[in-house]
Amino acid sequence: MVLPDYYEFCCRVKIVAGHDALEQIPGLLSEKGAKKPLIITDKGVAGAGLIDVVSRVLQDRLAGILIADNVPPDSDLRIVHQLAQFYRDNGCDAIIAVGGGSVMDTAKGVNIVVSENASDLMAFSGAGALKRPLKPLIAIPTTAGTGSEVTQVAVIKDHEKHLKMAFLSYFLLPDVSILDPRMTMTMPPFITAMTGMDALSHATEAYYCLQKNPLSDAHALSAVSMIYQHLPMVVQNPSDLNGRLAMSIGACLAGIAFSNSMTGIVHNLGHASGSVCGVPHGLAMAILLPYGLEYNMHKCEDIIARLLLPMAGETDYLNTPKEQKAQKVVSLIRQMNEDLHILTNGRHARCFREVKDREGKPMVPRETLPEIAGAALLDGASMYNPEDTDYTDNLMVLEAAWEGCPLDLSKVKKG
Amino acid sequence: MNSDSCFTFTCPVKTNSGNIALENLPVELSGLNAGKPLVVTNIAKVGRKAVRTLTGAFGDSGMSLGVFDSLGDKVDPALIEQLRTTFIEEEYDSIIALGGGTIVDSAKILNLTVSLKITDVRNLSAQTPVNRNLLPLVVVPTADATGLETAQFARLNGAVLSSEYLAPVLVVIDPRLTRGKDVKTIYATGLAALGRALESHIIAKENPFRQAYSFAAIRFIRDNLPAAVRNPDDKKTTLAVINAAVMSGCAFSGTEARPLHKLGQVFQEMLKIHPGIIMGMCLPHILDDYLHHDGNGLASLLHPLTGDEEFAQTPEVQRAGAAVSVLHRFMADLHSAPGKDVPQTLREAGVPPYAIEDIFEVLDVDPNGVYLRSVVERIRDKTPMAEKKG
Amino acid sequence: MEIVEVVRAGGKPFKRAYVSIFLWFTGRAIQAAAKVDEQVRREFNSLPDDFTFSLGVLPDGPWMVIGREKGQVKYLGGDPEGRHLHVRLAMKNIETAFLILSFRESTALATARNRLITEGEVPQALAMIRVMDIVEVYLLPKMIARLAVKRYPSWTPGRKFFGRIGIYSRAMLGI
Ligand SMILES: [Fe+2]
Repeated sequence: MVLPDYYEFCCRVKIVAGHDALEQIPGLLSEKGAKKPLIITDKGVAGAGLIDVVSRVLQDRLAGILIADNVPPDSDLRIVHQLAQFYRDNGCDAIIAVGGGSVMDTAKGVNIVVSENASDLMAFSGAGALKRPLKPLIAIPTTAGTGSEVTQVAVIKDHEKHLKMAFLSYFLLPDVSILDPRMTMTMPPFITAMTGMDALSHATEAYYCLQKNPLSDAHALSAVSMIYQHLPMVVQNPSDLNGRLAMSIGACLAGIAFSNSMTGIVHNLGHASGSVCGVPHGLAMAILLPYGLEYNMHKCEDIIARLLLPMAGETDYLNTPKEQKAQKVVSLIRQMNEDLHILTNGRHARCFREVKDREGKPMVPRETLPEIAGAALLDGASMYNPEDTDYTDNLMVLEAAWEGCPLDLSKVKKG
Repeated sequence: MNSDSCFTFTCPVKTNSGNIALENLPVELSGLNAGKPLVVTNIAKVGRKAVRTLTGAFGDSGMSLGVFDSLGDKVDPALIEQLRTTFIEEEYDSIIALGGGTIVDSAKILNLTVSLKITDVRNLSAQTPVNRNLLPLVVVPTADATGLETAQFARLNGAVLSSEYLAPVLVVIDPRLTRGKDVKTIYATGLAALGRALESHIIAKENPFRQAYSFAAIRFIRDNLPAAVRNPDDKKTTLAVINAAVMSGCAFSGTEARPLHKLGQVFQEMLKIHPGIIMGMCLPHILDDYLHHDGNGLASLLHPLTGDEEFAQTPEVQRAGAAVSVLHRFMADLHSAPGKDVPQTLREAGVPPYAIEDIFEVLDVDPNGVYLRSVVERIRDKTPMAEKKG
Repeated sequence: MEIVEVVRAGGKPFKRAYVSIFLWFTGRAIQAAAKVDEQVRREFNSLPDDFTFSLGVLPDGPWMVIGREKGQVKYLGGDPEGRHLHVRLAMKNIETAFLILSFRESTALATARNRLITEGEVPQALAMIRVMDIVEVYLLPKMIARLAVKRYPSWTPGRKFFGRIGIYSRAMLGI
């Protein structure tokens, strides 16, 4: 464990995890002096019956529960303002966000508006615009992946003006994150697989990116071990409650790690393939993760090698010669994708070539790779990647990931 | 993961550590909506140079700050009431505590009184409710930190006020301030950190959030304390030791008091001995008890105490025993380095024989008193560790 | 009560002077590089016509401002006051600026160490960071530039040699 010349680390979120974690909510609310929370969620989460589970827990202990389930799949400025109005009209005093990334972003946006009594959310965009604590926010993630229950960012889109605004502040961190396996149990295997790989990519990238530090390292290593062990188990057996809880904890640890150490080329190219071709984030992460490790191998081989023990366990670790440990990490992740491919009856794509939309049409035609490589230059994740990335580097990695064949390490530019 | 009920963890403290960390204070404060901090410290403890380094870091910021450098060895209610008045009259908006131990306790209590408008400090007790955000409190630890600076409680002459809101919002660890005055200081800080990190790690078996902090703290002590006690003037290793101290306080918060911590506290409160000195003395003597009561917990220590290779090579059933012998070796090595500078017996630590009876009286009130008493008896009768088995 | 001493933060004139001169020269060098180097020109062409960028130190300078005016990239002096800035890169304090501008910490590492605050749109900020990396490679001997950028580029000897002469002479003359 190396102490960098300088580092910062912060995760103020109270983590409450366990099989009956939801039951703690009324107590947590009253600690904050809140009596009337607004539940923010989306139709998918509500349709899966998860809000019923939450309401049942809260019912007898809270006077009234208000539910807003109209968060769109993509966060939206108009909805943020609308929900804030709803919050004010009903005299709410706390927010409970139940869902994935978009719900969390929306809830954070609403919290800014209601706490700062703002007429326009956009006035608070960027870093450092918030200077004091907001209203109590409790986050209940329903996927084990994004980690947004412990991140200090929110991305809100203004669809009318075609703007995407980022908000960055430690005050955006939820007060509490509830990790309860009942909230992820209904997630289908295919979604479980890719969101789990998103979490694994958070832990892995956090471990090799430039902003790594002893505390992000400790979170990342523990996350890698929990996710790697439990992901195939819960994909195979979705109602495995212990496995589900372990995945939620692993994903949360990974979220803490990467929100303090940032992400690199895997997220960089993943964001770009999402914006150009609409590849689901988790799937892009699963596909790109082995390539990100290969691309950075010459700069951080010994760092990557240290992921072997938490992944493979003692026996495999001891049986792998020192100089092959880093390479073994890459091949274990490739194998994990193969296993998930089989467990999901082929829905979990192993390379961009295999990514299909609902009609079965390929989502990433080979001709779009140059556009993705260019789009990646517009994304901030490149800053934290150990090795520099330019257009040709991006294209080289994307082509290998499209084909599904390992990166030719001799072609990686080494400066 | 087989946790039947749920577990929680929270660490309200942000850590900034390293080169020119202090110079970021103006930006950090303005991000917390603060612009006029009151620095509280004890110049007899931290030295004039440390105070100058801290105020100098505000150079070119255009800010002005108040400095009170005469805190005593104890948390003094009358003094805190005076400071409270000045704080309010002069419109300060944040507190920077420079130093460790009771300096930070005083700062936490001061923050409580100015934030919650409490006029009578003597009325504060363990029952005083602290359930909302206080003003920004920044801790800048020096080499004699105890590790409890980042903890979520404050001690006021025997009473322990406990709330996550009491923890500092930010801790700034700067290598210009972490170098030890002497071997004893950095040794004591390191062992207090180690003792609490070990106990937190054992308790936190199924709480990986807590274990992230304790793991990093133990690893840093293992990697850096031996070098730091050989050269307490070394920036790099002392910086790492203070990092470990800060992490140990985060890991320890919210756990029940365990024997090492408890013993360290009692001696500190009654005789003003740095808790690390006592924890270091007791550590070797309680390991065997842990081995009998909580083998699994001990086994979990082997990984942070050694490394990937040694951990992987040790079969599961041998890990607890291996952890104990690693700790014995580690302590023997520490004691072989600084020679006579580090007190290894109660007498060398300055505990007069008659005071032991008073210590026993306090310990007897503790639910775990019989055991704690037996540990003190063991260290009282023992020879220095360096001469023990290696 | 007189027990609290009030301390006013002093100044750091030497470091301010170094940082001011450095920022002034970097500003003129970017203006020159936009004329001499094809890649820098391309980066600027991707930015809005009235693009304005500022680099400097919190809380109150020194700063330098670079902007596009009628298609030309120009160094616009050291005062961002009253200008609409598309991107602002602010170093958190004068010591940080000194650390970065004396090349003891690369831009990438400084970013990873939270030493810079970026305001504005990320794609535009990234373009400016690429521009500054290129300019550093031109201005600095390889040994030092290696520390300032993540990967030292493999340019043709011609690009580096003539580019360097062009940028140095233009920056000196301010053309
Ligand atoms: Fe992600």
